[in-house]
Formats: sequence, C-alpha cells, structure tokens
Amino acid sequence: MFNFLSTETLGIIALSLRMTLLSTAIASIIGVPFGLWLDKAHFPGKRFIVLFNRSLMAAPPVVVGLVAYLLLMRSGPLGFMGRLFTFEGMVFAQVLLLTPIISGLVYNAAHRSAANIRAFAKTMGATKMQTQILLIRELSNDIYFAAVTGFGRAMSEVGAVMVVGGNIRYHTRVMTTTISMLRNRGEIDVAIFLGVVLLIVAFAVQLIAGFLRKREHRTDENF
Amino acid sequence: MKIFRLKKDFEKFSLNIDSLDMSEQKIYGIIGPNGCGKTTAMKLMAGIMQPDSGVVDSGGLTARDITMVFRKPYLMHESVLKNLLYPLKIRGITPDMQYIEHLLELSGLQALRDTYALTLSGGEQQKLALMRAVVFSPKLVFIDEGFSNMDIESIAVFEEFILKMQAKSKLTWVITSHQLSTIRRLCEHVIFMHAGEVKAQGNTEEILSSPQLPELKQYLQFV
Repeated sequence: MFNFLSTETLGIIALSLRMTLLSTAIASIIGVPFGLWLDKAHFPGKRFIVLFNRSLMAAPPVVVGLVAYLLLMRSGPLGFMGRLFTFEGMVFAQVLLLTPIISGLVYNAAHRSAANIRAFAKTMGATKMQTQILLIRELSNDIYFAAVTGFGRAMSEVGAVMVVGGNIRYHTRVMTTTISMLRNRGEIDVAIFLGVVLLIVAFAVQLIAGFLRKREHRTDENF
Repeated sequence: MKIFRLKKDFEKFSLNIDSLDMSEQKIYGIIGPNGCGKTTAMKLMAGIMQPDSGVVDSGGLTARDITMVFRKPYLMHESVLKNLLYPLKIRGITPDMQYIEHLLELSGLQALRDTYALTLSGGEQQKLALMRAVVFSPKLVFIDEGFSNMDIESIAVFEEFILKMQAKSKLTWVITSHQLSTIRRLCEHVIFMHAGEVKAQGNTEEILSSPQLPELKQYLQFV
C-alpha cells in the first residue's frame, strides 16, 4: 500500500524533479547553442536538418524511449556503460526527447530576430564576443521559454522513462510511471495525489511561461 | 569612401554601382524611388552586407568608426537609457552624463529614460536610435530614412542637431530620405539612384533644381 507523504512518495517526487531538472539543463546546454548555430550556419542539407529537427520535436516519447533503450541495452552501442534501468539512463532518454524541442524553439526565435540583432551589433561596432552576448541576452525570453517548455514536457512524460527506467521501486520510479502503475493496481487515491502534485508543478511552469509571454507581448505596444 | 564596381544580386533585384567617390567630413544624400537600392547600397557601404563583387574602401575606417540607423531601428529589450549607453558600454567608455542628459533632452526622451524602449512610439524609437548612433562619436554615419516617423518639429530639431554636430566634429554622413526639404537642408551632395544604379550625382541644388534625367524628373515630380 502507498502512503501519502511517505518517504517513498516524497522520494518519487524528488526523483522526478531531479531527473526533470537535470535532463532540461543538459538538453538546454546542447539545444540552445545548436539552435543558434543552425540559424547562423549555411551548409548544404541545412533545410533537411531543420525539417528533421522539427519532426523530432513531435516524436512520440515511447519511440524516443525505444531508441534510448536500443542504445543502452547490453548489446547496444552504449551497452558497455551499463546505464539501462538507471537514473542516468532515464536522463539520457529525456535529453534525447528534449534537445530537439529546445533547439527547434531556439532556432525559430533566432530565425525571426537574430539577423536584426547581428546587424544592429555591427552598426554599434560590437566585437564577435559582444555580438554573441547581445544575441543571448536579446533572445533570453525565448531561451527561457524553450527551457520551460522542455521542463514541462520532461515532467509530464511517461513513455520514454518507462521503457528505459523500468519503473523500479526506490530506483527509477517517478511520478508519471507511478501514476500509471497505481491506476493499473486500482490505487486511485495516491495516483490522484501524485497527479495533483504533477499539476501543481505544471501550473508553476506555465506561470513562468505566461510571465515570459506577457513580457514579450508588451514589446508590441506602441502609443 | 571609394566604391568600385560594386555588385550585389538578389532574386528579383540587382545592385550595380560602377564607381562612387565620397569625400570625408561631408553630408551626402541618397535619393530615389522605393526599391531602387538605397538601403542595400548603404548596408554594403557600412559593411553590414557583403557584396558579390567589387570594393568598398572606407579609407582606413574600422567597423567601430562606422554606424547606421535604420528606418525601423532595432532597440534592445532594455530601458531608453541603457539603449543609449550601449555603444559606450561595449567600448569601455565611461559616459559623460551631462552630455547624455543633453541628448535625452534634445530628443524629448528625458522623462522616458527608464521606460522600456520597445514601448516607445515609432518616432521616439527613431530619435533614440539616432542619439544612440552618435553618442560614441563615430566618423561615418549612415541614416536610412531615419526621420520617416518623426513629426515636423522633431525633424527640424534633428536637422539642427546634425548641422551643429557637423560644424563641431566634422563627421561624414550619408542620409537617405524621401523628404527633399531634409536633403536640401542637410546635404551638400546628392546621389540619385534608380533600378539599382547611380544615375546622377553632384551638388544638391544643381541636381534638384535642374534635373536632366527623365527618371529623376519623374521622381521629383511626385516627392
């Protein structure tokens, strides 16, 4: 039987938050520079890369989980690391899922305004480094928004972590996989409790996103 | 500044300037109908855009000496004051706050110094962009329809400001405008462009008072 606020339940909530934060951070570290680079770079096949990235943004989590599983399984290319059914394995799967989302959103934002920012930086006589700093500062709302979107996706995702993590008690059990398991067992009360916690986190994330959108909207005002 | 066989091709437009010679410390005006290549020519001269072929010799000036103001200027997601101070900040120059206050007062932005710059009206944005362009004392200033959203009184104030600044600091200015009164008041020399080419150039009064080319006659008829 599950207890509300038991050590196990709190552990599940903590593990979920830790996994989500870590995977969002890693995916942002990879995705943000990649999105910015993709906007600036010109090479044959760029359109295909952009299209492929967009396709990955909508990839079903369970498919991404399967890919991560195939990479991490004992006979897979990363099998020697022994990370299948571990916390690190789940983070790996989520990074695969989130990176295209974050890079895609950053690319779209950069595609919309980076050329103007770079041109402006040139007219101001900014160095390359100063231009990069300006670019990141001016796109910071979009970058936050991309990270927040990634965080929300990671928090609510069940397919990939279920496939790679295996929902092992005290080890890889997170909120979404627990809710799914409890529903199967008929222990609806704890499932609802975890669902509410998940909703509160999602609400907090949306509040941040809403704040960012509001700030962005303000930029269009003209008196 | 010397331009020699400058060429830039776009899908539906081609810019070809065979040769153009601009002396230092003078104010030049570029006129011509919409889409004739004024902005492209300016971007190429300012080094914001790279030509397909040809040479722009800016006489030893570096990117840090040249600036450009666009009709729709880029303003950072910062306050009016921070926007104004940006070129000084990236040059490591301590601002002379007395001069900054003078610029803010002149442009009527003193009360708006802490306002989020993107909430300014179109005319106010142009005033801020013009002040920001000259705050670091550049040697070559390009203004691309930089007064187009300003009211008549503000245009007069800025024309006066440019003339005073010119008398004091002797910069080189290149200005595009459809307001011939501005061109007449500010510019010693005028360049007429049509269909991506320089069709006529010379003393402003001579060019505007007795146009020889049919294209120029037609343009002046409707301005």
